[in-house]
Amino acid sequence: MRRKIGKVLVVGAGIGGIRSALDLAETGYGVTLIDRAEHIGGILSLLDRQFPTDACGMCRMLPLLDRDTSGQYCLRKGLFHENIDLKLSTRLIKMEGEPGRFNVTLSTRRPPIDPDRCQGCGECADVCPVEVPDAFNQGLSKRKAVYLPTPHAVPNPYIIDTEACTLCGECEKVCPTGAISLSDPGRKDFRILVVDDELIVRDSLKDWLEDVGFRVETASSGPEALERLGRDAFDLLLVDIKMPGMDGVEVLRRAREAIPDLTVIMITAYATVDTAVEAMKIGALDYLTKPFNPETLVPMVETVYQERHGPGRETLEVGAVVLACGMTYVDPAEGFGWTGYAGMPDVVTGLELERLLSGTGPTGGRLQRLSDGGPVKRIAWLQCVGSRDHQVDADYCSSICCMISLKEARLVRNRSGGEVETHIFYMDLRTPGKRFQRYGEEAEADGVLLRRVRVHSVVVDEKTGRPRIQFASQDGRLQEETYDLVVLATGARPAVGTGELAGLLGLELNPWGFPLAQGFNPAISGREGVFLSGSFSGPRDIADSVLLAGDAALEASRVIHVAGGWEALEDADEVEYRDVSREKVRTLIAVCRCARELVPEMDTEGLIQELEGDPGVGRVKVVDNMCTAKGWEALVEAAARERPNRVILGACLPYVYARRLKELGKMIRLAPGNMDVVDLRTPLFSVKDPGAARRLTGSELRMALARIRRPGSPVQEEVAVEPRALIVGGGIAGLHAALALADHGYPVEVVEREEALGGNLSWLPRTIEGEEPAEFLKEVQAKVEKHSLIHVHTSSEIVEATGRAGRFRTAIRLADKTRRTVDHAVTILATGGREAEPAGYGYGESDRVLSQKELETSLARGDLDPAVLETVVMIQCAGTRIGTRNYCSRICCPTSIRQALFLKERNPGISVWILYRDMMTPGFLEAGYTRAREAGVHFIRYTPDRKPEVEPGPDKAVVTALEPVLERDVCLRADLVVLAGGVAPQLPGELAGAFGARLDEDGFFEEADSKWRPVDGLREGVFACGLALSPRSVAESVASAGAAADRALRILARETLPAGLVVARVRHALCSRCEQCIEACPFDARYLDPEKGLVVVDAAVCQGCGNCAAVCPNSATVLEGLDDRRMLDSIDAALEAGLMSL
Amino acid sequence: MSQGFKIEVKEGGAECALRDFLEKILNLDEIRAVLTPLRLPYQGAVMPVLVSHGDRLGAAEPLSPAYPLSGARILSRLTRQEAGGRVAAVLRPCEIRAFVELVKLKQASLDNLILIGADCAGAFSNDVYKRAAAEDADGDLARRFRQAAYAGEELPAGYETAPACRVCGHITPDGADVLIGLFGVDADREIWLEARTEVGKALLEGMDLPEGEEPKARSGVIKDRVGKNRERRDEMFHKTREATGGLEKLASYLASCVNCLNCRVACPVCYCRECVFGTDVFEHEPRQYMNWADRKGAVKMPADTVFYHLTRMAHMAASCVGCGQCSNACPNDIPVMDLFCTVAHGVQEGFEYEPGRDVEEPPPLAVFREDEFAEVVGR
Repeated sequence: MRRKIGKVLVVGAGIGGIRSALDLAETGYGVTLIDRAEHIGGILSLLDRQFPTDACGMCRMLPLLDRDTSGQYCLRKGLFHENIDLKLSTRLIKMEGEPGRFNVTLSTRRPPIDPDRCQGCGECADVCPVEVPDAFNQGLSKRKAVYLPTPHAVPNPYIIDTEACTLCGECEKVCPTGAISLSDPGRKDFRILVVDDELIVRDSLKDWLEDVGFRVETASSGPEALERLGRDAFDLLLVDIKMPGMDGVEVLRRAREAIPDLTVIMITAYATVDTAVEAMKIGALDYLTKPFNPETLVPMVETVYQERHGPGRETLEVGAVVLACGMTYVDPAEGFGWTGYAGMPDVVTGLELERLLSGTGPTGGRLQRLSDGGPVKRIAWLQCVGSRDHQVDADYCSSICCMISLKEARLVRNRSGGEVETHIFYMDLRTPGKRFQRYGEEAEADGVLLRRVRVHSVVVDEKTGRPRIQFASQDGRLQEETYDLVVLATGARPAVGTGELAGLLGLELNPWGFPLAQGFNPAISGREGVFLSGSFSGPRDIADSVLLAGDAALEASRVIHVAGGWEALEDADEVEYRDVSREKVRTLIAVCRCARELVPEMDTEGLIQELEGDPGVGRVKVVDNMCTAKGWEALVEAAARERPNRVILGACLPYVYARRLKELGKMIRLAPGNMDVVDLRTPLFSVKDPGAARRLTGSELRMALARIRRPGSPVQEEVAVEPRALIVGGGIAGLHAALALADHGYPVEVVEREEALGGNLSWLPRTIEGEEPAEFLKEVQAKVEKHSLIHVHTSSEIVEATGRAGRFRTAIRLADKTRRTVDHAVTILATGGREAEPAGYGYGESDRVLSQKELETSLARGDLDPAVLETVVMIQCAGTRIGTRNYCSRICCPTSIRQALFLKERNPGISVWILYRDMMTPGFLEAGYTRAREAGVHFIRYTPDRKPEVEPGPDKAVVTALEPVLERDVCLRADLVVLAGGVAPQLPGELAGAFGARLDEDGFFEEADSKWRPVDGLREGVFACGLALSPRSVAESVASAGAAADRALRILARETLPAGLVVARVRHALCSRCEQCIEACPFDARYLDPEKGLVVVDAAVCQGCGNCAAVCPNSATVLEGLDDRRMLDSIDAALEAGLMSL
Repeated sequence: MSQGFKIEVKEGGAECALRDFLEKILNLDEIRAVLTPLRLPYQGAVMPVLVSHGDRLGAAEPLSPAYPLSGARILSRLTRQEAGGRVAAVLRPCEIRAFVELVKLKQASLDNLILIGADCAGAFSNDVYKRAAAEDADGDLARRFRQAAYAGEELPAGYETAPACRVCGHITPDGADVLIGLFGVDADREIWLEARTEVGKALLEGMDLPEGEEPKARSGVIKDRVGKNRERRDEMFHKTREATGGLEKLASYLASCVNCLNCRVACPVCYCRECVFGTDVFEHEPRQYMNWADRKGAVKMPADTVFYHLTRMAHMAASCVGCGQCSNACPNDIPVMDLFCTVAHGVQEGFEYEPGRDVEEPPPLAVFREDEFAEVVGR
């Protein structure tokens, strides 16, 4: 049962957009997902491997619930979901209306190659005479003007780079399926009026535009133009400004009066550019400066045609818009002469290195020097190229580069068996995420050398021609080292077109051009109903992008719900399938006869006869071009006539037919398990012999027959969802999540151990951005308390919990010691964290040594007067990033900076010293670090092997630290020593365990996957947010709460949790209860029912992976739909073709 | 944890002393029954027998060369659920290891159980034992076997221990609570006992036994024997690989298999309630046989013999303890053990898994390690 509950537009199909779209789709929304690129995946499509696994894992984002709505394919290859309409080469060009009811106009470029007809044979590329640098490989290799956008997409039709294409027409001639049509018939209907007093201009414009297929007329004066406009309908007016008599501006004014939506482009000489700009204010779209050539003119007209009048223009009504347009990297070719990038091929960007390491890259994954193809023995990474740099107006940290460089260096080390020397030149190694610290140390253990050195420049080594890095050593002497490759960790920049989009939607941008989030929720943009996802609003790693994507999806859903868009419409197409289990098998096999048969001499008739001889086959029908509308009609007709109880389509790309097959099933009331699509084309690619082709084709069809011949499995019982949420913890994360779910109409029980709600926000006076969390808390708390669907239990604790996603039962001990049992579908653990007690430095021995929180509260209470302080020393990492708490707490560096700035502000004469290991101020927090340095806060770096020493005295505390630049001890006589102890988790293992969740090695919540499922527990239906997850700021906690609520919503929004077609089942009579399957299940979908003594499968949670069936020796556990008999029959059928011989 | 004791052997020899030892155990308050090989009054057959009255222990033959079936399977039946009292079970080393596997597979339990194992000099295959028992006029077979086998004497031709025993690398009862030490001693004078676990220690301490040290010669004897067995084993591996490399050879090796499934019934770690080859999965439709016959021109029936052995190999190779009961059970004398041990050796080496080594060590298929077999699966 599908519910249609509103539509969302997601702009950008990188991982942020994909995740937002998938979450919304899984919750039941219709999603239009667009990307201006020709492929999905964004930057991630270029990267094969991500830490911490140093593998991919994107598929872990695929829907877990009702997974048959989605293609279970590699997400790098493609995205197929019933509720997602994916539109590539598409841009958002207009938005009107109100939140909950926006009208958005999209423009899709008409591809010169029909993707439905392209077979990917590549003959077009063979004949294409144009060669250009391949952008996918970062220009490291060449491609033709007709090319594959990515090496791995499915389907993967060729596309044409219209800018490089010379329209020679060679490809059109050779295309075997006639998929290419370089001329766009729609252009003939696009009428352009060119107005210029000079004949030569008129004629050349007319020629150029008619060459590419537009219909052009001309006028030599203003009055003539107006007369023509009055007579005929035109789509575009190109008008010269400087004309005798009536000038262009006047023509524009009058023309727009008469025809308000006429598109006008001004033609101007250099002298009148200002006038042209003025003209744009009264309605001209753009201007062209003379002299111009067709290369400027044609794309501009093309864009107008595509966006305003092209066939790919459409307007949709959506409830909300999610922006996941990603980010881009700075181009080091301009303005970074010191890196040598522009002149030396062996100086590459991180992305270029990723392509060099990729099996689909220019060298097939072989690392080599780009200058001469020589071996690579030494690589240097230069961090912060275009980040943390005032001179290029980038006073922010790009956040992701340290980890990326570490990963790349580790990959190179491990792949080369430790042969290649890998050096990372850096300022601060920023590892402020979950488990990042350990990853960095592992990289060092793998032999990656970290060099905290400021690089001066990269020059050519005259002797070898290789890049030579010049840097200043500690004592200031210039040193030099030569490398085979130098990799630039280039900084993040706003996505191309961000400014344009911001203008279109009225978004506020930060000083560096990234969209600015509002308040404490990073998903909230300046425009109501428009949300920020992924890394659009600032560089984020995968986990944070995915998390924010969830938050954005949640807010989009909330807006739609608030606007009344939640009314569930039962799917009118709901059908009751025929019970065919007792019928004699009668299969309709439809074999596509392609416009271009691979082996035309194959004896199809003979094969048909042979297949029809099988008692299970009713009819074998040949359908011409099944992929075309006509072909499909023929098939539907045959199916309606024959009423088969099994259907097999022998065609090409199975995913093309997935949706159609479902529709066919609905029409003839045949359940999907009784139908299958077989790719008959791919196996024939390498076959020439007609006999072999026939055997192969026959075998493929027989294998499909074997798969569906046996009656489908009985329908799995669906689990009824108890529409209620339980949230453990009443801090800001818990409360935010509670509100989010209650705002969707679901009752929420909030259990808080303490007497009052609020958690850490009740003592935190302000953030580094200067915002006041207390106010925010008050606001949220007021809403929670007023909300009729939220029940808060303070001074209460969870006693025990049983059950699974959709139906947990939890006992709560309330304040009055009574027990209350709650049934709920989902659990969110928001148990928070606390400041860890700092370790060492005389903490607890002297009043002069405080923790960050103690300083904070003393200042807030007024116990401490900054004016009386002379010197304050802050020591970072007091007990973290080392030993048993080997993780960065992320918030202590910004906190110290904030406190230092506060003290400086209250007492400008105060001397504040921050002793740190690496300043962890990722993203725009970097600006705070800059501000602190400007305000005169002193920073001294220390290393764990030479920690500062604190000698608390009665008068002052003496802090001794090694100043690394001077290489001398400095003694600071401090009034106060403030220790940053970091964040300690407070999620009891027993509590987590009660819900089937686990703790990680640091005691935080263990996510199902650190990158792709950052708020999910290992058991479905259990989520975590806030500090329970890992150290994070207030805004990051709020984002995680939104993400957790979003994941919870997928379950709450359903009445029942359906099982997939392929799902595990236990045949109890055969089961020996060895429980190996329970151990082997990676989704925690099995358990031993102690009362019945049976192994039970939670069919809704089961993902059909088959691990259980693999460990079960006697098939007591079977995978419905893929059981032994089907598999054996399929293998038999395969053997018939001699695919295997036994 | 290990503590030594000894039994001083008097008249009647080691057999008598061990019977007394078992009786003493049975007389302990906390012990409800003893499971031990015991000579039945028929045809000299020796079978595992559950004894709860001491007077029935007179026929116990814990050191008999008979090994009719694996006691691990028998003991699993006794311990799957609460039996209502503590049992002391005398098992061979390979039986103990198989039993540990069954515990991991939740088919048996170590609760309320004391495992007693003796140093093992091997056993006869069933047909040899039957022959020897028929010729054993004075009922003295067990003693004669023990005296010769433990002394390391060459056994008479036709009366060698079973092939599995001759290649065995685990001749001491590693997983036992109580070890009966027979290597390196004259068992007609003294038997060494060792408590190997807390449970074993508590048991022996309650029996008022004199303390004893491990016989000096014991470890040397064990090393020697295992060394010889290893040599024979490697030779067997080599021969078996030669004989079974490739499907053709394998089919020839297994040619006389009639799909009786006896080997799987005899296998102590083949724990399925019903073998998949007995279920509907292999209940082929008649037309299927016709198809096969059509395709190949002829189809051998039963059709799934090689497939059956391959499947059993896939299922049991990790847990195979090399007891040899499969060969023992084969009506057509297929050297099943040689094949299974050879395959199991590779599998166990690959997973760094040793069946029966430790009850806490999970079976390889229940464990997922991301980084294993990189040379096969890539990285």
